[in-house]
Amino acid sequence: MKETITGRPPKINIPSAGDTSFPPCIRLSNGLPVYLIGNGPEGLLRIEFVFNAGQRMEKIHLASAATNAMLTEGTELHDAASINNLIDATGALFSHTADKDSAGLVTVTLTRKLDEVISLAEEVLFHPSFPEREFRMMKEKRMQAFLTGRQRTAVRAREEFYRALCGDTNPYGRVTCAEDYDSLTTSHLRDFHAALYIPGNMYITVAGRNPEQALPLLENRFAGEGKSQWSKPVISPMEFATASPGLIFCEVKDSVQSTVRMGWKGITRDHPDYLGLQVATMLLGGYFGSRLMRKIREEKGYTYGIHAVAGAFHGIGYIVIMTDVATGWREETLGEIRKEIARLQEEDVSNDELLVVRNHTMGEIARMFDGPFSVAEAIKGIVDYDAGHDYYEKFVETVNNITPGKIKELFNTYFRSDQAYEIIAGIT
Amino acid sequence: MIRFERHTLENGLRVIAHRDEGTPMVTANMLYDVGARDEDPESTGLAHLFEHLMFEGTREVPMFDMPVMMAGGENNAFTNNDFTNYYITLPVNNLETALWLEADRMTGLDLSEERITTQKSVVIEEFRQRYLNQPYGDLLLLLRPLAYRVHPYRWPAIGMDISHIEKADTISARKFYRKFYTPSNAVLSVAGNVTPGEVFRLAEKWFGDKPKAPRRRRRLPAEPVQNERREITVRRRVPSAQLIMAWHTDGRNSRDFIVLDMLTDILAGCESARFPALLVREREIFTEADIYLSGEIDPGLVLFSGKLRNGTDIRKAEKAVEQELRRLSAYPVTDAELDKARNRYESLRLISHLSASNKAFNLALHELLGDAEGINREKERYLSVTASEMAETAARTFLPGNCSVIHYIPEAQ
Repeated sequence: MKETITGRPPKINIPSAGDTSFPPCIRLSNGLPVYLIGNGPEGLLRIEFVFNAGQRMEKIHLASAATNAMLTEGTELHDAASINNLIDATGALFSHTADKDSAGLVTVTLTRKLDEVISLAEEVLFHPSFPEREFRMMKEKRMQAFLTGRQRTAVRAREEFYRALCGDTNPYGRVTCAEDYDSLTTSHLRDFHAALYIPGNMYITVAGRNPEQALPLLENRFAGEGKSQWSKPVISPMEFATASPGLIFCEVKDSVQSTVRMGWKGITRDHPDYLGLQVATMLLGGYFGSRLMRKIREEKGYTYGIHAVAGAFHGIGYIVIMTDVATGWREETLGEIRKEIARLQEEDVSNDELLVVRNHTMGEIARMFDGPFSVAEAIKGIVDYDAGHDYYEKFVETVNNITPGKIKELFNTYFRSDQAYEIIAGIT
Repeated sequence: MIRFERHTLENGLRVIAHRDEGTPMVTANMLYDVGARDEDPESTGLAHLFEHLMFEGTREVPMFDMPVMMAGGENNAFTNNDFTNYYITLPVNNLETALWLEADRMTGLDLSEERITTQKSVVIEEFRQRYLNQPYGDLLLLLRPLAYRVHPYRWPAIGMDISHIEKADTISARKFYRKFYTPSNAVLSVAGNVTPGEVFRLAEKWFGDKPKAPRRRRRLPAEPVQNERREITVRRRVPSAQLIMAWHTDGRNSRDFIVLDMLTDILAGCESARFPALLVREREIFTEADIYLSGEIDPGLVLFSGKLRNGTDIRKAEKAVEQELRRLSAYPVTDAELDKARNRYESLRLISHLSASNKAFNLALHELLGDAEGINREKERYLSVTASEMAETAARTFLPGNCSVIHYIPEAQ
C-alpha cells in the first residue's frame, strides 16, 4: 500500500479467522444428531431441520421443492388455514429450504414459544396431508414464477450451465419445462415424503443462547415412539452426461442485456486441490478488488458486477464466472475474461496481491463464524457434504501457505480454455 | 434496549458508539443526509452515481477497497431517495483503518473525468440489470411519477432516465460533493467491542480537523393532497398480470407510519394474514398479495402489490382489495390478530438486533430521524397500536381519491 507524507495510514493488524471450532453434537436416543451452537442474545432461537431430501434424490422432477413447499399446506390434524394460523400465532418465522442436496425447514422463534414451535415443526415435517386444492394453487404460483424465469437471462444461462455440466437426465442438470408441472401429482410428493422425511434421514441445528434447552423437546418429538432409527445417509453415485466444452447460446427475446457465463467442470471437496481452488477463484472474481471486477467493471465499465465461484455437489464440482452486460459488449467481455485467465496462467501473482486475498479471506471466515446464527449456516455446508469438522482449519492453513506457483498451476489445470463452456443468454 | 453514547464534534459530525461484546468485528457506518430527493429534477440519479464515485479512490488511497481487504474487512453502500449509507465491517483491532478511510474520502476524492465516465457506464448497466432486464422490473419507475407530481420522490434513486446519468459531469459531481459531503451533514455510528470513549477519541483524531460547514436546511416542495384516482395501464412481455395500488400517507416519524406498519403486517405479513388467507387462498383472485409501506422519511406511500391468478379480471381484483380494506371498519382487527402481529414484531426486532452492523445502521438512521434514542422507544410505539386506531387510520388513508393504480398486463391480453 502507498506510503504517505503525513505518516498515515494507521497500522493494519493482520486479520485472523478467529474461532472456527465445530460445535458439539448431541445424539437423541435414536441417534439423530443435534448440533448445539451457543451464545447470542437472550430471547431468540434458530432451529433448522435438514433432510437428505434435495433435488438429487428426485425420481420425478420438481418433487423435492414441491414436497417441501407443501409441508405447511395442511397436516393430518389441521387444514392449511389452521396450521398457518397456529404457526403465525407464535410469531415465529418458518422458512422452507429446498436445494440441490438438502431440503428442510428453518424456524426462528422467541425462546418463550420454543415448545409450541418444535411441536408445530414436527407436525408439518412428519404429518403433511398434501391436499389437492392447495397443491393445485402451489403449482399455479410456481408455474407463474417459472414462466417469469423464462424471460430472465441470468436464470436461463444458469440452467444451460448445469445442463452442460451434469446432463439432461441428471437431477442436477435437468431443465424444467411447463409439462413438468402438469404431470406432477400429490402421489409423487407422498412417495418422496414417505421415503425421505424421516428422523433417520436428518439432522438438527439449534443456535442461540442456551441451545440445550431444546433437547428434551426434540427428544420427545423427534426420537420418541414410532420415530425411525438414525443412520448416516448413503450417498449413492450418480450418472453424469457432461457435454463437450464450447459455446452455448440461449435466446431470450427482448432482453436489453445478456448474461455471460464461463464455466468448467471442477472438483469435489475431497480433492486435495479443492481449498486451493477456492483461493484461486477468490483472486479471479471473489471480491470487489478481484482481477475481473477491476478489469470488467472498474476499467471497462461493461457491467454492474462480475463474480467467480468454485463449488461442488455430491460427485461433481464446478467453476463458474457470471456477469450481466450490455448486449453489444458480450463478445468483448468473454475476450477480456479469457485474457485475464491467460495472464494468471502465465505470470505469478505478486505477494502483495496474494496478501490482500489472504487477509480478505481471513476476514470472510471470521464473519462466517460471527454469531450463532451465522455459525449454523456455515456448518450446514460441512455436514451436508461430510467435509470434515476441521474443514475451516484446513482452509485457513491453505490460505496462509499457498504459493504464487501453486496458484498458477491451478489456473493451468482447472481453467483451460479448451475445456470451458461459454454461455451467452440474450437476444440473437 | 440498545445502550449507546453520543458525541458531536466541533465541526458538526455526529458520532454514535454502541458497545457489543459478543462480536470480534466492528462496523463503522457512515450515513450522509443526502439522497435522490436532494437532486435537481433535470439531473436525477446523481446521489447514487456519487455513491459509486466514493469508491473510486483519493490522492492518499488510490484504491479504496485495498486497505479494507488488507484489514480483513468488507464494505458496501446504498443510496435511496432519502440518504446515502456507507459501511465497513472489519476485525475490531482494525477500526482505525475504517475511520481513516471514511475521513479520507469525505474530503479527498479524486473526481477525474475518466473515473466518472467509467462509473456512469457501470451505473447504466445497473439501471438495465435491475429495472429493464427483469420482468416487472420497471414497475416502480412507473409508479413514482404517477403518485407524485411535485415532491422529488417522483423519481427513483437510480434516476428518472438513463439520459440523466449520461449527462452527469465532473462539474456537477464536484458541486454535489462540496455541498453534501460535509461533517455536519453526516452521522458516524460505530458498533462492536470497543468503548465509546475510544470511538470518540478516534473520531476526533480522524475527523476533528475537517472544516465546519453550515448545517443544511432542506426545503422540498410538499406533495399536494391527491383528490382524484389515477390509473395507468401498461402492456409488457410478462406471463401474468400484476396490480399495484398506492395511497399517500404520512412520514417516517408520524404516528400513522407506525399504525400502518402494524396494520399492513396484519393484512399481509404472514401466510395466515388477511390478504394471503382471503384473497389468495379462499377467493383465489391472486397468487400473491402483499401490502407494505414504502418507508421513506418524508410522507410516503402504502403499496399494494398483487400477482393475478390467470383468468382473473384486473378490475374485479382491484375491487376485492378495496372491499377488504373497507372491511376494516366493520370487522376491525381482532385481539388474536393483534397478538400475532406483536409476537412477530418482537421476533423481527430481536433478529434485527443480532448483528452489530445492523445496529450501527439503525442507530444512525434514528439519529437522522431526529434522535438515536428513537431505536429504544420504537417497541413501545409499535406495541401500543390499537385496533380502533388502525381502523381510523385506514379509513383516512385508503380513500379512492388518494389512490394511484397500475394495471401491468401481459402483451397478449
